[in-house]
Amino acid sequence: MTSPAFAAPMPSSVRKPARLKSLVTTYRVPLSIIALCLLPWLLPSKALAVNVLVYGVVAVGYNLLFGYTGLLSFGHAAFVGAGAYITGIAIGQFGVPWYAAVLLGVFGGGLLAFAIGALSTRTRGIYFSMVTLALAQLVYYVALQASSWTGGENGLRGFTVNKINLLGYDVNFLDPVNKYYVLMTFAALALWIVSRILNSPFGAAIEAIRENERRASTCGYNVERTKLLSFTLSGTICALGGTMSALHLAFVPLDSLHYHASGMIVMMTLLGGASSFFGPFVGALVFLVMEDVFSLWTSHWQIIVGSIFVLFVLFLPKGIWGTFLARVMR
Amino acid sequence: MDTELILMQLFSGVALGAILVLTALGLSIIFGMLGVVNFAHGALFMVGAYAGLWVASLTGSFWWGLLVAPVMIGLFGMLIEYLLVRPLYGRSIDDPLLLTFGLSYVLVEGVRIVFGSDGIPFPTPSSLTGVVDLGVGFFPIYRIFVVGVVVIVVLLLWLGLEKTRFGLIVRAGARDPTMMRVLGVDISKVWLLVFGLGVGLASLGGVLSGPMRSVNPEMGALVLAEAFVVTVIGGLGSLLGSIIAGLVVGIVISMTALFAPEMATIVMFALMALVLLIRPQGLFGKLA
Amino acid sequence: MSAPLLAVDDIGVRFGGFVALQGVTTAFHPGRVTSIIGPNGAGKSTLFNVLSGVLTPSSGTIRFKGQDLKGTRHHEFVHRGIARSYQITNIFPDLSVHENVRVAAQASRSRYNIWTNRKRFSELDVRADAALESVGLVAKRDEIAKFLAHGQQRALEIAIALISDPEVLLLDEPTAGMGPEETKEMVALLERLAAARTILLVEHKMKMILGLSDRILVLHHGRLIADGSPRDIQTDPEVRRVYLGQNDGYA
Repeated sequence: MTSPAFAAPMPSSVRKPARLKSLVTTYRVPLSIIALCLLPWLLPSKALAVNVLVYGVVAVGYNLLFGYTGLLSFGHAAFVGAGAYITGIAIGQFGVPWYAAVLLGVFGGGLLAFAIGALSTRTRGIYFSMVTLALAQLVYYVALQASSWTGGENGLRGFTVNKINLLGYDVNFLDPVNKYYVLMTFAALALWIVSRILNSPFGAAIEAIRENERRASTCGYNVERTKLLSFTLSGTICALGGTMSALHLAFVPLDSLHYHASGMIVMMTLLGGASSFFGPFVGALVFLVMEDVFSLWTSHWQIIVGSIFVLFVLFLPKGIWGTFLARVMR
Repeated sequence: MDTELILMQLFSGVALGAILVLTALGLSIIFGMLGVVNFAHGALFMVGAYAGLWVASLTGSFWWGLLVAPVMIGLFGMLIEYLLVRPLYGRSIDDPLLLTFGLSYVLVEGVRIVFGSDGIPFPTPSSLTGVVDLGVGFFPIYRIFVVGVVVIVVLLLWLGLEKTRFGLIVRAGARDPTMMRVLGVDISKVWLLVFGLGVGLASLGGVLSGPMRSVNPEMGALVLAEAFVVTVIGGLGSLLGSIIAGLVVGIVISMTALFAPEMATIVMFALMALVLLIRPQGLFGKLA
Repeated sequence: MSAPLLAVDDIGVRFGGFVALQGVTTAFHPGRVTSIIGPNGAGKSTLFNVLSGVLTPSSGTIRFKGQDLKGTRHHEFVHRGIARSYQITNIFPDLSVHENVRVAAQASRSRYNIWTNRKRFSELDVRADAALESVGLVAKRDEIAKFLAHGQQRALEIAIALISDPEVLLLDEPTAGMGPEETKEMVALLERLAAARTILLVEHKMKMILGLSDRILVLHHGRLIADGSPRDIQTDPEVRRVYLGQNDGYA
């Protein structure tokens, strides 16, 4: 473009943080991988670090739908749980190798997301949150009743992965450090995929729908179909988180399907900040560290976490990372 | 299968449905007026049940519990609206939803701290125990009582909305809050009262259902999901829809329990999925 | 006269018991500016909503280039060649001005591409900047849309509608809420646009309509009561009765 205004200099105070921000955005995947490599050495326990990985992936996947498409789902635990259950059942009851079980879990969770998404994206506004919650509860009750497959109330056990074979080497999967770095590879893959999706034309389309659904439709976007695709992608990433959690714990609790688990994903995302790429990961980290610390004091730690969440909705709706960005990048 | 059993089960369905009607009405009234879906509705139902139990054990009378607890929790609901929900008006419609969700955590954990995590039995008042022979079968007196109370409450609600000035303001305010303000009606006071009323209905449902289910801190979770199913089927904001869908869901759950008990909870969600396929706005909902 | 580009036949729209449009039959020919006027509640916006697929009429047919648009969904209209703006500014408030137009340009292709970096579609950037140029917003390219002045937001919305290079452009009160200076700029813009495409306009500013339009339709209580050149309309007794008989405040 030749317009002179286009090249007009911006005030330097605006320019520097903006440039920093765009650098961070460009290299967000390598930066997060560096952070993930350091994480287990900064946290009190390796198990906590693996948990952060799992829920970091879940929250980032969830945020594709919540933060970027503007749809508040209260049913994503269903996809995390489906990924975990399918992986566990495949390994424990069918003797499927772990990598194939992961693929099955991701695919199955994605399929469930497509089905629930197809129903829930037919509704609008506040209905959507209610319908996703109710349909995910359906999954919970099905898992509760199908106890011969899922272990019902006791959860799913009996699929411990002791060691895995990587490129000809046997890796002891019971060693927490090994486990962390293997699962970290999955997390890095998930972050890379989400980052690509956000940079794609589709990433622009979902943001347009979040901003103004009617206008996006008038521009020629099939809003329902775009939402459904976003829902499915987001659910698939969450299912990957679920399979990671199954490998990590060698156990799938029934409560992982409950809507309280969905609510926990929402809380993490919001605590960190739904308006940014890193926010949800930061939120998962903060939430799990809070849980770790508060549960040492009291078994009623949820009252503290719930209160903090209420305060965040009231006073810090952009979340920790979002507020930090707004302060620093101003 | 004999008809008597079917009739009895049908009647339990109506009793269950009556409770669902109360909770769904509470949810729907709040939504219709304030545009807020109260995610703490199930938790407040549970708090209502505990409050009823507490008042009943203090006074030694179920009747005080039934009368006082809904008023108490209704007032608590008004406090919630005033302190927590009100600052969020004008922000995204998701914000009150998120806030009330967080609040439900606080309420459930609060009840665990005060009353413990285990369920507490809620005795049926002695005057309402036993069964009565209605010619076609024996029906539990307490369930007949529950249906009677709900019928009276729904009638009072209907009269209140249709025949009083307050009802007129509520109905008009739901349609056009700005106009109400122009006409000099203090709409925020109406919001306060409606929120309290909705919460009061939920806690009345909690007290009434106490003797029918066990009272425990987790009971609100299923109630919330049920209330959502009913309002989605009936159409959010439609009071008639809540009543009809509540009864239908109650009866469907009960009848399924007779034939395939393990499917009883699942079938209501399936019903909702079906309605979504055919009529996404709900049976009595208007197209947005 | 050439074949009509867009034609409606016996269109009726009812909301419950309320009749918003009734028996509207008319056709729009290429390369002309047609204005639709009428008192508030006459059905102007309803007609626009029917012509852009926001509303499905209760009865009647719409044809575009001879093809029946029955069953065509709202989002497909722009792909057919019919684009619109709204009476109340309808943009993507938190996106940059450039992104507002770019995302609209992208809708005609690569809608479901979830993998390629969008920077690779550089021709979309070029097209977006060209559209911004044509409405005079290039200087505001990188600003967040919601911080633009009202008139600039209206112009942005027109750029969004223009990016699909539509054959028919429906503009619902493009000068709503504008002062005289902004209105003058908008009229100049509309004149430039009219050279290349068919424009339908809903407006209240009579002086502007009389100057811009080749043809004027008058709606009243959902019916078409007059159709003709600006001169015909000014002298039409029925129109005079509607506008002067009941003082709606328009002149």
